[in-house]
This record gives sequence, structure tokens and C-alpha cells, in this order.
Amino acid sequence: MIDENLTTSNPILEAKSLNRTFGGLVAVNNVSFTVNKNEIFGLIGPNGAGKTTLFNMITGLIEPSSGQMFYQGEEISFLRPHLIAKAGIARTFQNIRLFGDLSALENVTIARHIHTKSGFIRGILGLPPAPSEEIRNKQKALELLDLVGLSDRAFEKARNFPYGDQRRLEIARALALEPQVLLLDEPAAGMNPSEKNQLSEFIRELRSQFNLTVILIEHHVPLVMGLCDRIAVLNFGKLIALGDPAQVRTNPAVIEAYLGSD
Amino acid sequence: MAGFLSTYGFLIVSMVMGALLGLSLYLPLMTGQLSLASPGFYALGGYIAAILSTQVFKVSDGLYPIGLVLLEMSIAGVVSGVLGVLVGIPALRLRGIYLAIATIAFVEVLRVLSLNLDITGGAVGIFGIPQPFLTPIEYLWIVIPLLLMSMVLLYRLERIRLGRAFTAIREDELAAGAMGIDPTYYKVLAFTLGAILAGVVGAVSAHFLNTWNARQGTFDASIVYLTSVLIGGTRTFVGPVLGGMVFTALPEVLRAIADTAGLPLWLAQFLRDGRLIIFGLLIVLGTIFFPQGLVTPDLFKRRKDRKSQS
Repeated sequence: MIDENLTTSNPILEAKSLNRTFGGLVAVNNVSFTVNKNEIFGLIGPNGAGKTTLFNMITGLIEPSSGQMFYQGEEISFLRPHLIAKAGIARTFQNIRLFGDLSALENVTIARHIHTKSGFIRGILGLPPAPSEEIRNKQKALELLDLVGLSDRAFEKARNFPYGDQRRLEIARALALEPQVLLLDEPAAGMNPSEKNQLSEFIRELRSQFNLTVILIEHHVPLVMGLCDRIAVLNFGKLIALGDPAQVRTNPAVIEAYLGSD
Repeated sequence: MAGFLSTYGFLIVSMVMGALLGLSLYLPLMTGQLSLASPGFYALGGYIAAILSTQVFKVSDGLYPIGLVLLEMSIAGVVSGVLGVLVGIPALRLRGIYLAIATIAFVEVLRVLSLNLDITGGAVGIFGIPQPFLTPIEYLWIVIPLLLMSMVLLYRLERIRLGRAFTAIREDELAAGAMGIDPTYYKVLAFTLGAILAGVVGAVSAHFLNTWNARQGTFDASIVYLTSVLIGGTRTFVGPVLGGMVFTALPEVLRAIADTAGLPLWLAQFLRDGRLIIFGLLIVLGTIFFPQGLVTPDLFKRRKDRKSQS
């Protein structure tokens, strides 16, 4: 199935010569790549290689200094974050950004925003479709919490969850957007080996269940090698390798820059 | 009862208006925006009502029709709303303390304008604003329904999609954006709703006080309403409602205490005139010891939790 995806090559996200500088620092340097629909695409590289900067450019949190970003053929380089989310790209954050004071259920319900329409008047007065929307939202949110195994703690405040659960809650929240593309920024950070194994399985399941394209940043090399269809390697802002795990593993530039340092 | 109402009627109506103004400051705070602009819109609403009732409608004999008061309130609300959008869009690009400073500047600009324009009566202001009621307490017929409507609105707001968007922005604006919520839109909306409410209350207040001048809705007032919200509570609308009532009544209570015989002169003087010092101290102590205010949503939740657990 994986090979089929690669050969049909159906691009969903395309970066063309992306650059981003912060003052004198070149964080992302002329990076181009294409992510195919339904692929699990890994982004690896040493600390400070520009991986999160790239994520932030894809999701509109920062604008590229130059270059372009296309999603399903449309340019999204300078769209504001909420419009990119609306277009179908959802993400999690490296340094977990849940709404800590709110319950797990509320966190996920908030992310149903773009799939509901009722505004001020109808919401306040409880006119259709507001009430049925509210019920549907809550059901959907509970389903997603169930999916990540947190439904029994739906009413607990997000900040009281252990680290691994917070990461899973962030995934549930991102899924509530019903995205086409899911960006995971270090989803395995802070997880123990057995949790990491479960995570691989879980991400594969998500892909098939929601017909997702997944792009993930991850430091844990065995996990990335085992999970990803293709991997892009960044070093000092430059793309030094792009290919399937076997190709990347044997690439001399990668071994020198990243794997060799292990 | 009649004696009580005639003595305290003025204070009771003031307390309800204090609650409403607390809510007008609470609305932008729902999106995490500390705006002190409410007194400016309050002053604006008052001038609109004062000018309309003394120069445009000019009802000469008998009581002023309540219908016209309601019309003035609507006009004040619409004008405040439009100005709210115009001020809100640039001002809400600022964050935290900078937004607070910008909104203080807005209040000051309005104050200086009203001092210098002919239509606002300059420093003297506008007086002889006609009365729709015979006694102050009867103003409750207007302000109580207004407060109830605002409370129902906020109760609903905190439970629907719109309120959730507000909360998400308050909790983490960046994450809210990544969830498809447009932070600018909802921040301007919350700010504008607060502006409308303040303008409407100002319109009632102009009739209620009978006179309107540049001393209405100043920076002092900003501090009073800020105290009501910060001490009352910033996480549920019940906080600012109670806070607004308590802190409107507090100066009167202090004055009553100051009148007790045998108090040293300096203390009596301080209780009468040191209102803002006391409010300032309360803000500092409150933010240190009760960062979410005294009335928090957890107070209401606990009972529900117990029920669901048993």
C-alpha cells in the first residue's frame, strides 16, 4: 500500500525554495519538497536545524522570507493561521499548547469551531442550528477523546494531565478540525519506549481511519525509520537528504550530520 | 420600606449600573484583553442622551417619555458600537499593558474633547436633563431588565461556540489561531460588545444624574470598574456583577463609617477621600492572592461534581 502511494505520487503539500531568516540567522535555507497525499512524512535533523520553523511556516505562524507554499495546488504562503487551519492543516505543538485551565472536553470542543456556523444571535437565543450543533460537537469531541483513550477523564483540567496524555489530547484536539494534513511536532517527546511503540501504531491507525497525510518532526530515529514513508533531513536550515528510510539511512551527508553523531 | 427606598434609591440604582459597567469591562477581558475604555463609551452614551433629550426631542411639560429614553439608549448603543469597532481594530493590535494604556488615552481624548466642544457644554456640561421618573428608585424599571438581559446574554455566551472562541483566545491566542479561530475578529467583537453596553448604561445614567459633564467616565472610573472585575472575578460574569455592586456601594459604606463619632480626624478624612487609594490597594492585594478574583467558576462546579460522583 505504501509503494502504491509513492508511485501514484499525488502531491498535497508543496514547498518551493522556502527561506526564513531571523536577523542574520538563516533558519530555513532554500528548502523545497513535496508531500504526497496519505503519506507519513518525517522531518528530522539536529537541534536548531529549522524543523519547527518550517512547521510554523506551513501553519502560517511565521511568514516565509521568500519562497512559496502550496496546499492542494493553492498558494498558502501568507495566509493567516486560522485560514490555514480552516483549509485543512492541523498541528500539535512541540511545547504543548493546550488550553490548560479548561477541561479535556472543552479543549477538543473548541477545535470544532470551523465545523460550526451559529454566530452571536442564534447562539445566544439557542435558535437552530445552534442547539443541534452543540450536541453534535460534544458527541464528536467525546468520540475523539475515546479514540486517544482519555474519555474517562473528559472533565478534568488539561493542565492536570500527565505529559504523555497531554500530547494525546493535543492530537485529539487537532483531529477535531477534521484536517487533511496533520502536523505532529515531536509527538514522542517524553514518552517511554512502550508508549513510543504504541504511538507508531496509533499514527498509522489515524492515517487509515481519517485518510490523513501526516508530517512529523521527531528526534527518536528508530521511530521515524520504522514509521515514515519518506524522510526529509534538515541541517542548519538546509535540506540535505530526502527519500525513503533506507535511502536516508545510507546517505553519507546524513550520517555525517546527524546519525553519525549518535 | 418607602423610607428605605427613598433614602437608598439612588445608591441601589447606582449599584446596578456599577454591575453593568463591570460587565462592559469583563467582555473584552473574556478574550484576555485588558481594556479600560468602558468609561469613555459610558461618557459618550451619556452625552448622546443629554444632547438628544435637551436639544433634539425637547419634551417641555410633564415626565419625559420612557420610549424616548429607550430610543436614546439604542442610539447610544449603536454609536458606541461603531466607535468600538473603529477604535478596537487598531487598539487590539496592542497587547496587555499597552492596550490598557491606549484605552486610557482614548478615555482622556474623549474627556478633553467634551471639555472643549460647544455641543457638550464645555466644562459646565449639560444640565437639566429631563426626568422620565419622579423618584430615583424608579430607574430600576430600566436598569434591572438591562442587567437581567446582560446576565442572560453572558450566561449563554459562556456556553456556546462564540464564548468558547473567546476563552480559547484568552487561554492561548496562538493555539486558538491554529484551531481555526480568527483572534482579531473575536477580540474586536468582545471589545465592541463591551463598548455597546457601556454606551447604553451611559445614556440611562445621564437622565438618572440629571446632569452630564466631563467628570463622568474618567480614569478614576476606570479604576473603580477594574477593581470590581479583578476582585469580583475574571472567569465568570457573576464576578463583575457582584464586584460592580459592592464597589459602587463601598464609598458610601466608608462614608458612613467615617461619620461614626470618636474616630480620629485623619482616619475619617481618609475613609471619605481615600477611595482610590483603597481601591488601588485592593487591586494589588487581589491580584496577588486571588488572581482569578473571588468568584470563580469552580465555586459553581463543585456542587455539580459532587452530584455526578455520588
